[in-house]
Amino acid sequence: MIATVTLNPALDVILEVNSLKLDHYNKVHNTHVTSGGKGINVSKAVRGCGRETIAIGFLGGDRGRVIEEELRGLGITTNFWHIEENTRSNIIITDKTKGQHTLLSEPGPKVTEYDLEMLQSIFYRVMSQCSIVTLSGSLPRGISADIYAKLVSIAKERGVKTILNTSGEQLIKGLEKNPFLAKPDLRESNQVFGIKIDKEKDAIKAAKEVVQRGAEIGVVSLEQEKDIIATRDELWFAETTYHKIVNLIGAGDALVAGLAVALTEEEKSFEEVIKFSMACALASALREEEEFSSREEVERCLKWVRVNKI
Amino acid sequence: MKIKDIMIRDVTSVLTNCKLIDLIEILSRHKITGIPVVNHNQEVVGFISQHDIIKATLPNYLGIINSGSILCEFIQLSKNLKEYSQHPIEEFMRKNVVTIDEDDNEVLAADLLIRNKIQRLPVLRGGKLVGVVTLTDICRVLIEKNENTVN
Repeated sequence: MIATVTLNPALDVILEVNSLKLDHYNKVHNTHVTSGGKGINVSKAVRGCGRETIAIGFLGGDRGRVIEEELRGLGITTNFWHIEENTRSNIIITDKTKGQHTLLSEPGPKVTEYDLEMLQSIFYRVMSQCSIVTLSGSLPRGISADIYAKLVSIAKERGVKTILNTSGEQLIKGLEKNPFLAKPDLRESNQVFGIKIDKEKDAIKAAKEVVQRGAEIGVVSLEQEKDIIATRDELWFAETTYHKIVNLIGAGDALVAGLAVALTEEEKSFEEVIKFSMACALASALREEEEFSSREEVERCLKWVRVNKI
Repeated sequence: MKIKDIMIRDVTSVLTNCKLIDLIEILSRHKITGIPVVNHNQEVVGFISQHDIIKATLPNYLGIINSGSILCEFIQLSKNLKEYSQHPIEEFMRKNVVTIDEDDNEVLAADLLIRNKIQRLPVLRGGKLVGVVTLTDICRVLIEKNENTVN
């Protein structure tokens, strides 16, 4: 089983309008409500690959229960700790006429020391059923930056491989505990360890530093569906050759899901692991809204992935 | 149909040392009536429901006699609950827990739920908790099956 942790999930409410006018009455033509959060997205993509997954983290209130229902409906096992405050929501106003998207993001709920203690207890137990766990995304209020470091230590104690996909202080502290694989999250800033990721050489430098700081494998994404993968002795370059991309949102999470799936399939070589994860990212990028729903979709994308050892 | 196709894929559970007060909070936040009790390896070691909590806090005959009035029963009940609130749930849970394997079928699940007069049945894979199944889930599946046959 593949576990995913989402500490700061959200309920995304997508409202479709035509020519949004501010300070005016606007009619909504279509409403779409879905669960969001990097770990949850990873679970959806893992399920899309036909593998078993369990999602854990914090949820709260009615929004939390809506998210749980949706995930279970997709065949994802849940074991969230329910906190006192409501899960945050993101309102996304999509203006179909102008092609503009406006995001209104609520701050996350407050998480207490007790909540954190309970989550760690759940995490410890769930690790007895898993072979790999992904730790992704931002932190809610009230959580210190060493949380991922603590979870990496617990997972290692239970013999479970870890994939860390976050940014800032929590990435740096997490790397100190030697996760199996780490991929810096570059959504908010395309900088990591003070390196600005513009060109291939920057990504190579950053991927090497991820390994130097403690991970066995470092993955750094470049724009235009390119990735650099570093290990202690090797350096790989992966790219997709199909460029009619529809939606890049969530492609990074699908890549992480692909890594988690392929790393648990022992017959796969390292090159095949990289190829499969890139194919997952591409399959996700070819979908406009929901995540891909079959392994065949991923396998069809394999022919558009090129992987080279540098 | 196999249980794994109809079960609720949720493994929310508690450890034996969970305090009664915390358990009540968990049941209320999840809006559920009962929960499996597990060890650190997700093996089910018990089950506790609201029914077990109230049963444990009901005053005994001696308590009623000593209270001097039947009207004191509610006060006695809440006093008992307060007294037990810090106790571990291990003291109140059912230890001879009924479970089902994810590869078993809905008929066996229905039989176990009815015969044991229980609401929720923990589902296991290789001895570890992977979900729960309720009579509502079974009824839903039976109705869907029936509609498909009619169609």
